Amino acid sequence: MLNKTKNFALLLLAAAMLAACGGGAAAPNTQLVVLEWSGYEEPSYWEPFALQHPEIEPEYSFFGEDAEAFSKAQSGFAFDVVHPCGSWWGLYVEAGLVMPLDTSRLSNFDELFPELTQHGVFNGQQYFIPWDWAYESITVRTDLVDEVPDSWADLWDPQYAGKVAIFDSGESTFLTAAYALGYDPYNTTPEQQEEIKQHLIALKPNLLTYWVDYTEINQLLASGDVAVGANTWNDAWATLNDEGYEVEYVNPIEGRISYACGFGISANSTNVDLAYDYINALIDAQSNANMANDFYYGAANMNSVPLLDPNLVEVFEYDDPAVLAQSNFQHPLTQEQREMMTTIWNEVKAQQ
Amino acid sequence: MENKRRLFTLITPPSVFLLFFFLIPLVIMALYTMKSSSFGPLFPLSFEAFTSFFSNPAYFVLLLSSSQLALLTAILSILLAYPVSYYLVFYTGSRRVILLTLLILPAWISYLLRVLAWKVILGSEGLLNQLLISAGLIENGAPILLFSQAAVLITLVYVWIPFAALPIFAAMERIDPRLHEAAADLGAPPSVTFWRVTFPLTMPGVASAFFFVFIPTLGEWVTPNLVGGVSGIMYGNLIQDQFGRALNWPLGALMSMVLLVLVGVFSYVFNRFIPITEVPVSS
Repeated sequence: MLNKTKNFALLLLAAAMLAACGGGAAAPNTQLVVLEWSGYEEPSYWEPFALQHPEIEPEYSFFGEDAEAFSKAQSGFAFDVVHPCGSWWGLYVEAGLVMPLDTSRLSNFDELFPELTQHGVFNGQQYFIPWDWAYESITVRTDLVDEVPDSWADLWDPQYAGKVAIFDSGESTFLTAAYALGYDPYNTTPEQQEEIKQHLIALKPNLLTYWVDYTEINQLLASGDVAVGANTWNDAWATLNDEGYEVEYVNPIEGRISYACGFGISANSTNVDLAYDYINALIDAQSNANMANDFYYGAANMNSVPLLDPNLVEVFEYDDPAVLAQSNFQHPLTQEQREMMTTIWNEVKAQQ
Repeated sequence: MENKRRLFTLITPPSVFLLFFFLIPLVIMALYTMKSSSFGPLFPLSFEAFTSFFSNPAYFVLLLSSSQLALLTAILSILLAYPVSYYLVFYTGSRRVILLTLLILPAWISYLLRVLAWKVILGSEGLLNQLLISAGLIENGAPILLFSQAAVLITLVYVWIPFAALPIFAAMERIDPRLHEAAADLGAPPSVTFWRVTFPLTMPGVASAFFFVFIPTLGEWVTPNLVGGVSGIMYGNLIQDQFGRALNWPLGALMSMVLLVLVGVFSYVFNRFIPITEVPVSS
């Protein structure tokens, strides 16, 4: 009897805690909780879902960077769909946060570039569905430099002293230094890692600052404080070009870095059917193109390409799948690799 | 007995609050230093964060330079706030409350906005550069001050002056004017009166001002993030990185604990050499 009361009390407590957490996933198939970058909640990116389920209003929880989303998911936040970028996908799978997907439930899946979908496969199963992809390269204000850099290694050229800003990210800076030195960033020896660290320290005289978000680097380039924006995304070039600045988006001889972001379904989701429908709506050719045009990104759906701004397609070669195969596509990182890269970057930043 | 009970009732709510929202989180933070990863279980204990922190001299060098910057900020804030307070207390009579309010007024505006204002002043198209260019002192619009340790120092001193001025103002206000009269009667010139009477009596205010500025500045990360660039980075930025992008909570927790210990040591040392409690205060 006492035991029963105790159990009942525990049940009540659990119910109260669930209610307090506000986890939308508690009630099945009535709500959809999306862990999403801010700015992607735009209804035109998932219109087919709204037509299919007019009664459902997706509930968004926003994040500003991948680390934030991952720690939120790891800390037990109840979500149905999450939108991390490719280099984080492996960690979600490793931590058991997402479920293997049945691609036959996504009618638009076959329209996606196979070069992109392959990155979402882990242990032979599809865990993530790519949606948006972009580059990391060098945006240059051609009017402020004598010579436009044509390689990642050129970032170290003393002629750019104090004119460079680099993305404040352990992963991106590690890749940049590794390509500049001619190493495979995903297969480095401890000696090479030390060399990469020293090389990044040697970059400091050329750096004015580290940039953290795209609005910051776009402003720095527009004001002319920074002439060489390293590891900038497509939007930096596109935004400045639209505003009439003389800019070039470099195609470094070592290759641009590229990455894709995409959607996974929480392993604890109780709204799996809705989650599939939502993802399928996102990867619809028109929805995918709407997003890509707004952010100047590439679309994972091949049929979106004719719907993209032709000027951007030309500049960024969005119609050429060979680009996806050739550019340095960001691999999913293991926990160890991510820690190694961020530790090196910490030590570089701490170095006075 | 009645008094004790009353004291107990008064002291319980803040103690409970501090216990749950300060002490327990602090203990949790301390335990995090011994975790092997940000999300895994506490056991088995791991000292990975300790090894990576203590084997890397760069962290100490940065901690040292951040301490120097905080020290310099505190000293400069006090040096600038002292004469202002002195003037307000001894020369402005009844208008001093209004003038003091005006001095503190900028502090009512969001901290972030004030820091961003300095970005506008110090930037390449900023006020300072425009002034220097029109005066013919510099040629192009290279930002000479933004993104440097100097920019961090200027911004921090600006932000902290009102907070340094307040305790100094309060200490000066408490000085009994009869002490000045007595000093004059005994033939002390104003400079002697200042150094032998006024200055020692304001030391408690100066010491509080010092701690008001030094301790928060030591852990500062917003200002260097916005105006510091590569060379103006501070220890606090790295702590913030550990909890954010680097996702290394054990190392972040350890770095915070080291900072806490350091602040404790500084406070102890300063308390010893600035004997605040021994300064006679007028009755």
